[in-house]
Amino acid sequence: MTTRQDALPPTRANSTAAKLIVPCLIGALVALALGIYGRVHSPTGIAINIAGFSSPGTVKSWLATGATVFAVVQVVSALVMYGKVPRVSAPSWIGGLHRWSGRIAFLLAVPVAIHCLYALGFQQYSTRVLIHSVLGCLFFGAFTVKMLILPKRDLPGWVLPVVGAVVFTVLVVIWLTSAYWFFSTFGIKR
Amino acid sequence: MKRNTPLITLLTGAVLGVVLLISSMLATPSNKPVSYSAAATAEPVSPAPSSAAPSPAEASSAAPSPAEASSSAPAVTGSSPAYSGTSSPAPAESSAAGSAPAAAPSPSATRTTPTRADYAGRVGGGGGSVAVSVHGNKAIAYVCNGSTVEGWMRGKVENGKLVLTGKNNARLSASYHAGKVSGDVKAHGTDYSFSVSTVSKSSGLYEATARVEGKTIKAGWIVLGDGTQVGSLETDANSDQPVAVTAPTLDVATMTARIGNVVLHAIPVSGVTGTGF
Repeated sequence: MTTRQDALPPTRANSTAAKLIVPCLIGALVALALGIYGRVHSPTGIAINIAGFSSPGTVKSWLATGATVFAVVQVVSALVMYGKVPRVSAPSWIGGLHRWSGRIAFLLAVPVAIHCLYALGFQQYSTRVLIHSVLGCLFFGAFTVKMLILPKRDLPGWVLPVVGAVVFTVLVVIWLTSAYWFFSTFGIKR
Repeated sequence: MKRNTPLITLLTGAVLGVVLLISSMLATPSNKPVSYSAAATAEPVSPAPSSAAPSPAEASSAAPSPAEASSSAPAVTGSSPAYSGTSSPAPAESSAAGSAPAAAPSPSATRTTPTRADYAGRVGGGGGSVAVSVHGNKAIAYVCNGSTVEGWMRGKVENGKLVLTGKNNARLSASYHAGKVSGDVKAHGTDYSFSVSTVSKSSGLYEATARVEGKTIKAGWIVLGDGTQVGSLETDANSDQPVAVTAPTLDVATMTARIGNVVLHAIPVSGVTGTGF
């Protein structure tokens, strides 16, 4: 989509804040709701599994890895769209690539999150787990913010890149504290 | 592009999440009709054919257990009224015990009470597993919901009856015989009834302890025959009231689990082999 704002937005700063406050509040509520559910709901230890994998851990690790790969596509396609890659002009399909890689990444992440919330819950028995729990909740809040501000016009040019970078960074840390940890601990297996 | 497509993306993800959550909730109880009431109610409501498939088999094996549980008491001990009055809280069991000789089904005649046996399975209503290992006149049990509700219990075996106790007022009372152990267990104030079967190879109860930052941590895992496992980890096992969290996944092949850079080496708590006793 063409939400690039090269020209200086004609709006004042406080109207920018006003445009961002509602999406940010909704995103915060999403993150908070996930965290509270994960904390209050007593984890079952199990949830529905996907055929073809040896354990829920491997399923989640591969799904999360897939989401992270598509997230990298997100960053690259965004850089191209914004003309930040030298000597590469944005092809016409870059917007579609960006949108669809994002959708796929998000939809891959949802089953992982549901398994985490339902079977494991919000935990804090080690630093890795605590970071993962906190960021896992924050990710969906941040993604919600990103989706809600995408259609808004007349936002300053820095807003979408900053929010997108936050979403990407959070996802990568989530992946490092789960799938990367899983694969490096138990070996890469299906 | 249309302005509402990001919203559609969000809603699609939300719907997917809700569907997965609901199917998890539906799948979880229907896989574990271990208590009589759960067996009776789980079958009609379970929608997925795949998850319903094991139900009849499990239900049929679980269904006779009230009769077995009550009839086994007089079968193995002459003083069973005293036991059923003091140690078995289920009123149905104690009332049935009086008329058990007349009502005893023929299978109970072939039941024997093994001196070495391992049992494990999900508790009634779902949300946890229980494992019982009997070794001679000693028994160890562990109940665990994969999180904060868990408890290790030990005790003596007397006349086919188990009364095991542990920290945090954990308590298990059950009767057992070849193939099945049935009773009630309480941990962290949560009561479960259960009726679980003998475990097969590589499933059962595992424990691991380690010293971390001056404290003894103790993890317990109950691995079931279908490969699912629940585990909890007591962060200070020597405390009088240990607090537990979700244990890291036990790799049954290597018998290890990792928390950060600490590797836990698990051992099976098996009445059959005697390890862990």
